Amino acid sequence: MSKPWRRYSTGRFFDELITDGGSPRVAARRAVNFFKGLSAGELQARRAAAELAIKEMGISFTVYTEGENIDRAWPFDMIPRVISAREWSGVSQGLAQRTRALNCFIDDIYNRQQILADGIVPADIVLGSDNYKAQCEGVSPRFGAWAHICGSDLVRDHRGRFFVLEDNLRVPSGVSYMVENREITKRAVPELFKNYSILPVDDYPLKLYEMLTALSPRAAKRPNIVVLTPGIYNSAYFEHAFLAQGMGAELVEGTDLTVGDDDCVYMRTVDGPVRVDVIYRRIDEDFMDPEAFRPESVLGVPGLMRAWRSGKVAIANAPGSGVADDKVIYAFVPDMIRYYLNEKPLLDNVPTYLCMRERDREHVLKNIAKLVVKPANESGGYGIMVGPHSSAAQHRKFARLIEKDPRNYIAQPTLSLSTAPTYFEGKVQPRHLDLRPFILQSKNTWVTPGGLTRVALRKGSLVVNSSQGGGSKDTWIVEGKA
Amino acid sequence: MSMLSSVAERLYWMSRYLERTQDTARLIQAYNHLIMDIPKGAEPPWDIMIDILDAQPLFRSRFKAGSEQNVLKFLIADEKASCGIPFAVRAARENVRTTRDVLPEEAWELVNELHLFVEAHAGNASGRRNRHDFLSEVISRCQMVNGLLGASLPRDHAYGFIKLGRLVECADMTTRIMDVGAGDIMERAGRFGAIDPLLWGALLQALSAAAAYRREVGPIIEKDAALNFIFLSSTFPRSIKYFVRETRKELMRLNNNDLAIRSVERLRRRLNRLDAEHFTSGELHDYIDDFQQQLTSLDAAIQATWFSWENA
Repeated sequence: MSKPWRRYSTGRFFDELITDGGSPRVAARRAVNFFKGLSAGELQARRAAAELAIKEMGISFTVYTEGENIDRAWPFDMIPRVISAREWSGVSQGLAQRTRALNCFIDDIYNRQQILADGIVPADIVLGSDNYKAQCEGVSPRFGAWAHICGSDLVRDHRGRFFVLEDNLRVPSGVSYMVENREITKRAVPELFKNYSILPVDDYPLKLYEMLTALSPRAAKRPNIVVLTPGIYNSAYFEHAFLAQGMGAELVEGTDLTVGDDDCVYMRTVDGPVRVDVIYRRIDEDFMDPEAFRPESVLGVPGLMRAWRSGKVAIANAPGSGVADDKVIYAFVPDMIRYYLNEKPLLDNVPTYLCMRERDREHVLKNIAKLVVKPANESGGYGIMVGPHSSAAQHRKFARLIEKDPRNYIAQPTLSLSTAPTYFEGKVQPRHLDLRPFILQSKNTWVTPGGLTRVALRKGSLVVNSSQGGGSKDTWIVEGKA
Repeated sequence: MSMLSSVAERLYWMSRYLERTQDTARLIQAYNHLIMDIPKGAEPPWDIMIDILDAQPLFRSRFKAGSEQNVLKFLIADEKASCGIPFAVRAARENVRTTRDVLPEEAWELVNELHLFVEAHAGNASGRRNRHDFLSEVISRCQMVNGLLGASLPRDHAYGFIKLGRLVECADMTTRIMDVGAGDIMERAGRFGAIDPLLWGALLQALSAAAAYRREVGPIIEKDAALNFIFLSSTFPRSIKYFVRETRKELMRLNNNDLAIRSVERLRRRLNRLDAEHFTSGELHDYIDDFQQQLTSLDAAIQATWFSWENA
């Protein structure tokens, strides 16, 4: 064993590549042996190659700190995470099932509200939520699909079992990094691809295109699809451009679009106005139409909701989808699966305490030092308190917050997130990670093979968000015996 | 497929800034060669380049003396000087960043690499030793982008607006160099007669016209023939005649082109009446002044018609 791997220990965690006994897992054997065969110098050279590729490909994301935008190169670890195709197939079916149920739920909520009438989900937590948009009532998008693109975060516990941590149904991001990570890995360790059968990920833009095409209100072979971005200063702008280019679609900002008196959406082109059929919306719904939502928004398109409600344009994800993207609603997803699909949930939720329930709240307040407390309605890892990593003062602060607004908080046990070997400062060490697969749904349901693996680069840290010091790895779904 | 007005605008400016980068680099290169051949005291001042780029006020707000070191620092390493290389490269990059979806994938990589190169080396490139290598590299990287776009872009709107941007910027630079550079040579006529051919040669170099001139006209470089070549050559792609013809051709492909076509027709009529061989320096200056005004109105017509929808 070469020096960089010395004293690699999986500890009490499940390691993605190495068993408790210290040998490589079957699917990862070749990859682990390859990396173990590299000297410290060679590892450093590969890393430099990966960094150069990132810089040249211009892969970056934007971080907001104290009012300034900083463009940072994408932090990447070149040792891939390997999962066998057989194991993945089960996860993939579970994700598809979940997304179907979530869409049934959203469609139900804005129309008949049967699930509320049947008392499966309490009506007040749905209808009283900021995410419930009355402007969407009575709309029935094609195929009953509202959340056309879903990014669900998965984690594994200490035994290696997958759990769903949350479902992102508003404007989930990260998929371009999934595709680019594969490209970087090909440049950094090309030899490794020789003996592996790895499911490709670069057809994502094509799958997205097919999904969006099926939504078009006009029967055209090539409908006019646009990607609506808030602009260059958005942290995910790189991804918006990447996807538009991958689909051969126009990347537009609000000012490029107008809604006509006929309720159709048009884009301003050098040949005059051109009708738009499908909008892949990467702008928050609150900002997308000043007529319907926040009047002060300058990013949006006045009249867009009107156009969508009258069926003249399809919008993905549909406005209002966020009603199911809430950490309280999350707790009811297994019930939704049983209720709408009459199936047994294939993937488990992380056990979740709802602070709005008195019994749960008492438990949370008593055990706050052991739990992770999350606001119901934030993303990006903001506002989270990890009990075991926080001070007594922080425990008290969150206890007060919970008592003041119990509806807005949930708590979950601190998970022993799985780890994978990660090259950091000359050594290969275990680092915690999660996985965000993407699920597409319109006429059909489709799940990415793998997804975006995010890794907490700091030792012991559980926070994987790129805005908070996280990095990422390529994720391999490998077929056959490796 | 049509093209978003906002995208067309960015492509046009990307192209103008890339052309500006390359033209400025060539101008400095040519002046550098010249300076080594000319007897001391006879050379045009260094800040003639600042005159060409019409940047005296900005330059004087930063530097007192128009010395070699100051002029080169201003053009090669100053990030805020809008006529300088780092500014133009950055602006080109920002425009590519927001139009990646209509360009070949390598376009972003190439322009981004150009930006990284300039950022890393501009600080050490204003001295005589590294200057040449730096400028050559900048020029060849710009040419790589042009080559990529020329070889792989479909001949649709994207290509059209990129070409228009390049043509307008190139005509702008050509006339500026003629105005100040040729004007300077003609004003000093007779005083340093022996070096006139050297100066005209440098002028052609700055316009990357030297080789083409030799082939079309011959090895002897003199005023009348040089002026004639730069204005009226129908084959040289940086001549004014070529600019007018190609611009007209590109505009004819676009819808709603009345305003812009009228503007380019005015340029064409002026050029048809031109008798470049008998210009005095004063006449040359007046002619170019008028030409520059027409060029500005053509640029305004392009923006109003296709970018800002002012008459929509």
